Formats: sequence, structure tokens, C-alpha cells
Amino acid sequence: MLSVLGQVSGGPAVAHGKLLFRPIGPELILVGVALAVMLLDAGYPERHHATLALLSLAGLAAAAAYSLSLWSWTGPTTVLGGMVAADRFTVFFRLVILGVAALAVLLSYQYLERADEVRGEYYPLLLFATAGMTLITAAADLIVVFLALEVLSLSLYLLTGFSFRRLASAEASMKYFLLGAFSSAFFLYGIALAYGATGTTNLAGIAHGLTGQVGPLSLALAASGLLAVGFGFKVAAVPFHMWAPDAYQGAPTCVTAFMSAGTKVAAFAAFLRVFDVAFSPLIWDWKPFVWILAALTMVVGSVLAIAQSDVKRMLAYSSVAHAGFILVGVTAASHAGIQAAMFYLAVYPAMILGAFGVVMVVSGRGERGLTLSSYAGLARRSPLVAAVLALLLLSLAGIPPTAGFIAKVAVFTAAIQSGHWPLALVGVLASVVAAFFYLRVIVLMYMQEPVIAGGQREAETGFDAEPGAVGSLGFVAIAVPALLTLIFGVFPGILFGVLKSASIIRF
Amino acid sequence: MSVQEITFVIIAVIGGVSAVRMVTSRNVVHAALYLVVTLAMVGAVYLVVAAEFLAWVQVLIYVGAIVVLLLFSLMLTKAPIGRDTLDNQQRGLAALVGMGVLAGLAFLIQDSFGGSKPITLHQATTEQVGVTLFRGFVWPFEVVSVLLLAALVGAVVIARKDDPAGSRRGPDRRAPLRRGSEATRR
Repeated sequence: MLSVLGQVSGGPAVAHGKLLFRPIGPELILVGVALAVMLLDAGYPERHHATLALLSLAGLAAAAAYSLSLWSWTGPTTVLGGMVAADRFTVFFRLVILGVAALAVLLSYQYLERADEVRGEYYPLLLFATAGMTLITAAADLIVVFLALEVLSLSLYLLTGFSFRRLASAEASMKYFLLGAFSSAFFLYGIALAYGATGTTNLAGIAHGLTGQVGPLSLALAASGLLAVGFGFKVAAVPFHMWAPDAYQGAPTCVTAFMSAGTKVAAFAAFLRVFDVAFSPLIWDWKPFVWILAALTMVVGSVLAIAQSDVKRMLAYSSVAHAGFILVGVTAASHAGIQAAMFYLAVYPAMILGAFGVVMVVSGRGERGLTLSSYAGLARRSPLVAAVLALLLLSLAGIPPTAGFIAKVAVFTAAIQSGHWPLALVGVLASVVAAFFYLRVIVLMYMQEPVIAGGQREAETGFDAEPGAVGSLGFVAIAVPALLTLIFGVFPGILFGVLKSASIIRF
Repeated sequence: MSVQEITFVIIAVIGGVSAVRMVTSRNVVHAALYLVVTLAMVGAVYLVVAAEFLAWVQVLIYVGAIVVLLLFSLMLTKAPIGRDTLDNQQRGLAALVGMGVLAGLAFLIQDSFGGSKPITLHQATTEQVGVTLFRGFVWPFEVVSVLLLAALVGAVVIARKDDPAGSRRGPDRRAPLRRGSEATRR
């Protein structure tokens, strides 16, 4: 089993030799650019808002180019004393996260301009969060996983409450912070118990220590349970999802788009590495737990989404359900399962970021026009935006020829191959339920008249009929994800080809 | 029982009792002072297991800095101080959950380490801590600094009450960023 999941190379030895900094280049670039943006904002406060956004974009592009150069890294698999992994798995997830961040910058520029909330601290915090996300995908030690998780969470708590004049934003931030801190405590306790069980926090060392162990495994089992709870909070899996709808609804929509896509990718990358590698000797013990988590998450997320009348809340529950689908791939715990989960994690961010992007574009200044009824007749007012949203919703529902369909097929196939056909069945049923609320929005957009209440329509949504009103940046940020879901839906081979070597987790 | 074990039991009892008093006391300031005792006892546990450097760091940072910060923030935010400000309706449930966690952990640790022979302590010198910190753990150490920086920026974001749409007063306030639509709206 182990040989399929990863190549164990070496023990927990801490290298005392030369420190190789190249594999953490992307993070160094991101933090450096964050500092530069901060200094630029402090030194030249009269500077154009666009300069800050452009500099952030340039930093993200540089980090992406640097990550790409690590694809052909031939050095040791872990560097900096076994703390950071330098494999293609990392490169893949880094590129996904950097793409998410770049689109989020485009959305944010438009959002901040419109909401009149331009403050120089926004972009550095976004870049810090991105650095935390990319770092967690590379973490080969539980300490680094935890610290990266904290960097990204802390930045996101702040971004969630960034519209401090809106009470909902502050409330969302507070709830997210309290539950996030709570989950961090679980995670830390899990690390402590893992250390107690194996005498190391290094992932390779944990796998090594657990393989040969004959004594009682209760400590290691408790550790894996607590770590799963910690990750469960971060990916918003049921029953640890309570914070997600409130945080997603209250946060500025551009932040919601960023965190719904980015956090999930980052946390799942670490989840895959920790569970399918470090705790792979205990695979038969943690599998039932994750199995139940996956089934509950899919069903509860899909069912609760139906009852929502607020678009952001509906998409939040839909993102909870999608965490369940990705967990199906994790449960399969085979090479095919990892590959399927990775495919899902590449297309899901595009879908959800695009969908929240459309919500942002359609809603007016001050987060108005978020009810489902404000989408009635959108196709008549703005055919292009409606078409983009329709495509993204079809993809989220998992209807061919979109990437969402291929992703769902991939995770369910992997689950069936591993003998989890009941889980696949639950997943298919949940998808059917979920299709209802996605299609409802499409029906509203295309088949209903816009509700005009005494000419209040435009004032309420702040959105005119011409697509030009969307703003070119905002339109790019929603069109790119839509295109990606179509491309990967029609030619999934492109992504699967990349995943062939990227899905081997080395440590 | 060795002297070490007796010392540990005394420290543990004091620390445990003040921890319970901390969460049950209804006055915020009293709670903070009980926290001082608990944290100091944790430092004393480090001393018992011969981790001298860690013990002093614990006292300096937690007892010295963090609790003082807590008291200062109570003072500066004018949080209500006095009786009944910390009471809530969940005491019974919280006690139940706390007892459950305690029993679970006690069972877990007893189960895992109960039969094993006592380990021999070796003195952890400051030099060893330093070498570990700056060799094997140099990258986590750097990540912590990024974390603190993000927290610092966040504190500024939260604390700065000024309206970003302009109208800043005083010479120390920054000039507002460009407001594209400001002129048209007003």
C-alpha cells in the first residue's frame, strides 16, 4: 500500500548540512512583494490604487514562474532540515493557488473601488494569506503545516472583517476567528499526540515510526483524529462547517471568492499529504472516520443549500458539499483517489471563484441585491454575465461537458475502485439534490421576468444592463474561470497528463 | 516517590486549582491573576524536567508579557470589570465537556506511557535549544516572524478607526488613497 502512496526516502533525520532555499523561493517572493506593497503604500500614500494591485499581480506572476521552474527540481526531496518538500505535488498546488490569488486581486480591485474601501493593507494581507496557502502545500513537517495554516487563517480573519463599516463583516470575522482558533487548538493537540506517539513531527518520521510500531496505537489514533478535526474545520466539512456560511456571507465578496477557493485547496493539499502519507500505516483506522465525514458533508451541504434564499449563503453550502466530494477522493486513498482529488481541487477553485465573482459583479455597492430573486431575468439585462454564471453553475452541478462533471466522475470512479461504492452512491444522490438549487438559479435567470418594484431595480442592484458596466477587470476575473471549466471539461486529458507525475507525493 | 515527583505533584495541584479558579472566577482581573499563577506553574514544571531556558522564557513571555498585555487591554478597552461580567449560562455543559476531555486524556496517556520505565533526564542547555532552533527549525522560525508581521498589520487594520473615504485629521494621518468616484458622488 505504501509504495503506491508515496516513496519513503530516508528517516526523520534532520540535515545539518547546507540549507537549500530554492524550493521556498515562491514564498520568499510573495512575502517580499507583500512588504514592498506595504512600503509603497506607506511611503507614497497618494499613489494610485492600481499600482498596488499591479505590483501584487506582478509578485504573484513571479512566484508562479518560479514555482514552474521547480517542476524539474532534481535536488533532495525535502530541504531545510526536512521541513519543506520539493515535489511536483507542491508545484501543482502552488500554481493553482497563485492563479486563484491573481483572479482574486482582479476582483478585489473592482470591489474596493466600488465599495470605496481602498486601504493599503488589503493587498499585503492577501499576499500573506497566499504565501501561507502555498507554504502549506509544501509542508513536510507538522510544525510547518500548523504555522502555514495560522498565517493563512490569520490573514483571512482580517480580510473577512475588512469592510469594518458593515456590521455583518465584523460579525463574520469574529465568528470565523473564534471557531478558527478553536480548531487550531485541536490541530495543535493532534501534533502533540503525534509527537508523543512517534517522537517526531516530521511527516516522513511519523510514517516511519508508525510502520514498525507494535505497541498500543491509541496515541497515534487520537492524533490522527484530532488532526482530522482540525483539517475538517479548515475545509468546512460537516459537522465542522458552522462557520462557513456566516463567514462567506459576511465577508466582502471578493474575499469570499478568494477564501472559498484558496483555503480549500491549501487545506486539502495538506490533508492529502498528512493522511495519505504520514498516517498511511493507520489507513484502515482513519478511513471509516473520513468516510463518514465525506458522506455527511455531501448530504448536509447539498440539502441545506436548497433552503437558502441568499446567493452567497447558497454558494457557501454548495462549497461545503464540494468539500465532501473531494473527501471521497481522499477516502479512496489510492493513487487514483489522490489524482481524482487533485483534479477536483484544480477545477473546483475555478468554479467557485467564478461563481462568487459573478455574485460580486451583480451585487451592488454595499452588498445589496444578494437574494435569489434579484437574479430573475438577469439573462435579459446582461446576457453575457448570465451565460458565464450559467456555465459555472452547470459545472458546479456536475453536468457535462463541464469540468465539474469530469471531476465528479473521477472521484466516484476512484471510490468504486477502492470498494467504496456505497459512498459513491451517496455522492451521486447528493449531486442530484445539489443540481436542483443550481438549476433553480439558471431557471430564474433565463425564464423569469425581472422583478421591477417601482423602478427600484437598478438602484437596488447597482448594475445596469450593459455588460460594460461589469468592468473589464471584473469580467476577466469571471470569464477566465468559466473558460477553464469548459476547456478542462472538454479536454480533461491536459490536466490528467500533468497529474500523472504531480500526484506522486514524495517526502 | 522521589523529590522530583513530590515537587511535581505540588506544582500540578497549585497550577490545576488556579486554572479551575481562572475559568470559574467572575471577575476578569481575578481571572487574569489566576492565569499568572497557572502559567508560572507551567514554567515550574519545565524547571522540574531540567529545561531551564524554556522555564525562563515561559515566565518572561507568558507571565511577563502576555498577562500584562491582557490587563492593559482590559484597561484600555474599558471592558466591564467586576462581578458577574464573566458569567454565562453554559457552566454545567462546559464542566461536563471539560471533565470528559480530562478523563479521555488521562486514560490515553496512562494507556500509552503507564507501563514504560521512567526516562532519564538530560539537561537541555540554552546552546542546544539555540542550535535546534537555528538549524533544524530555522524555516518554522522564519514563518513565525511572517505570522507575527501579518498579525501586526491586522492589528493596525482593526485599530485604525479612521474613515478610509477621506476626512482624516491631524498631521500624522496619511493622505487618503485616490478616490475615483468621490467627486462624482458628493
